[in-house]
Amino acid sequence: MKNRQYSVKVLETVIDDEDKFIEFFNTHYMLFKDHLIVINGEISTNIQNYLEEKELKFLNNITLPTGRSRKALEEEFNIGKKNIVEENEYLELKKKLKEIEFENGVNTQVAQSELKKANSEIEKLSKKLDNGFTVMDTMIRSGRELKIEGDLLLLNRVNSGATIQTSGNLIVTQVVEGALRCNGNFMMITVSPKANIVFHGVVVDNSLLENKLNRIELKNREIYITPVIKKEINWA
Amino acid sequence: MGIVIAVISGKGGVGKTTATANVGLGIALNNKKCIVVDFDIGQRNLDMILGLENRVVIDMAQVMDGEAKLKQAVIKSKVSENLYFLAASQTKDKSVLDSDKIKALIDALKEEYEYVILDAPAGIESGYEHTIEFADKAIVVVNPEVSSIRDADRAIGILDSKSQKVKNGEEVKKYLIINRISAEMVQKGEMLRSEDILDILNIELLGKVPEDKGVVDASNQGRPVVLNKKSMAGQAYARISGRMCGQNIEMKDVENASSSVFKKLAGIFK
Repeated sequence: MKNRQYSVKVLETVIDDEDKFIEFFNTHYMLFKDHLIVINGEISTNIQNYLEEKELKFLNNITLPTGRSRKALEEEFNIGKKNIVEENEYLELKKKLKEIEFENGVNTQVAQSELKKANSEIEKLSKKLDNGFTVMDTMIRSGRELKIEGDLLLLNRVNSGATIQTSGNLIVTQVVEGALRCNGNFMMITVSPKANIVFHGVVVDNSLLENKLNRIELKNREIYITPVIKKEINWA
Repeated sequence: MGIVIAVISGKGGVGKTTATANVGLGIALNNKKCIVVDFDIGQRNLDMILGLENRVVIDMAQVMDGEAKLKQAVIKSKVSENLYFLAASQTKDKSVLDSDKIKALIDALKEEYEYVILDAPAGIESGYEHTIEFADKAIVVVNPEVSSIRDADRAIGILDSKSQKVKNGEEVKKYLIINRISAEMVQKGEMLRSEDILDILNIELLGKVPEDKGVVDASNQGRPVVLNKKSMAGQAYARISGRMCGQNIEMKDVENASSSVFKKLAGIFK
């Protein structure tokens, strides 16, 4: 099977008056010559001859597919349904958590551990709902230890003394001065001479991160560093 | 209701206690009723810097334990009638601190004074956590050096996670004082620039205090440098106190303030 995918421009029309139609196409020929013409209703031989003569491609009586949102597609392919199940589970857990809190006005140790368990499960579930992709715009200050299951896009700085661990890919768009531990397929890091970066257990040499945005990848057990956005050259 | 301001730094020796004394006195000189409280249990210094060491009879621990009334423990400053001082215990250790007792004490102070300034201990252990617990605002004191910046960053991180206000979903506003800036070293590029420090810490700048030998002398004599109108550091603290009182005072460029006419001339021919 050989597939090809096109995005074509379509002009959809209904013919009331043949002369008007021909006149319209004579004047706007340049504009619509590469469009696909969809005509709803009957086509007379006169019109058909005209269209063939002008070498215009046309279709008759077709309902066009309208674009659908990702959400609609997900629902169609049952992905949505699964999410709904999980969401119910999530809400139930939250309810349970509240009940526990309510019952135990006095902080007993059992309640504490139960609370923690429920909390961590809620966290895991909410992460699952986000497809394991986290976006953050908080500063990672010194002493903070961030452990992320999945991918992380961080839009803020990582200060000296902070640690970030991800099991997935990691992109940091601002200066990193702390430690990064990444086990994903790739990392994207800006110029960061003070960072302490370990990628799949291998220490990355900071001096190689010389471009504005660098991609660090693991290919055949070797680490490659390639520029994504090159260094700005100052001609002045 | 007064506001509670914690003065923090993370690292020790950056001038936290000096800043507390000067800002407190500066605010009092602006005709606001202000009390400075030493939270550095077991290592109190603020009494000496304020020149009140021989007046301390009852300390904070005794008040919190109910052995004495708050009014008996509060000492009025000799320099300004708006400035009051509450001493930390020199003999006890940090275990005397307890959240409920601290809350009761701070609530009582808030009733009485417009500004309650808490001098936090260095480090980030329990004494520090108790100091920031009920703070409305925080002044972060740093020196332009990497170790101070990292420790301050850590202290801010803890403030943002452990203070009562944050737990209630509000924000503790943080202000930065960059202390001991040496204009000469900044111009040579040997000292961290203020812009870089602000980039790292990402909090509002309250003021820059230049390195000034008069500060040590003033502290030793128990007359905070803010009283000395000729001193550069004193002027800086006066501006900072004004800003804390809500006045709009322009930021002065401490880094490029050359001391001699000759240097200014040299600057022209660069």
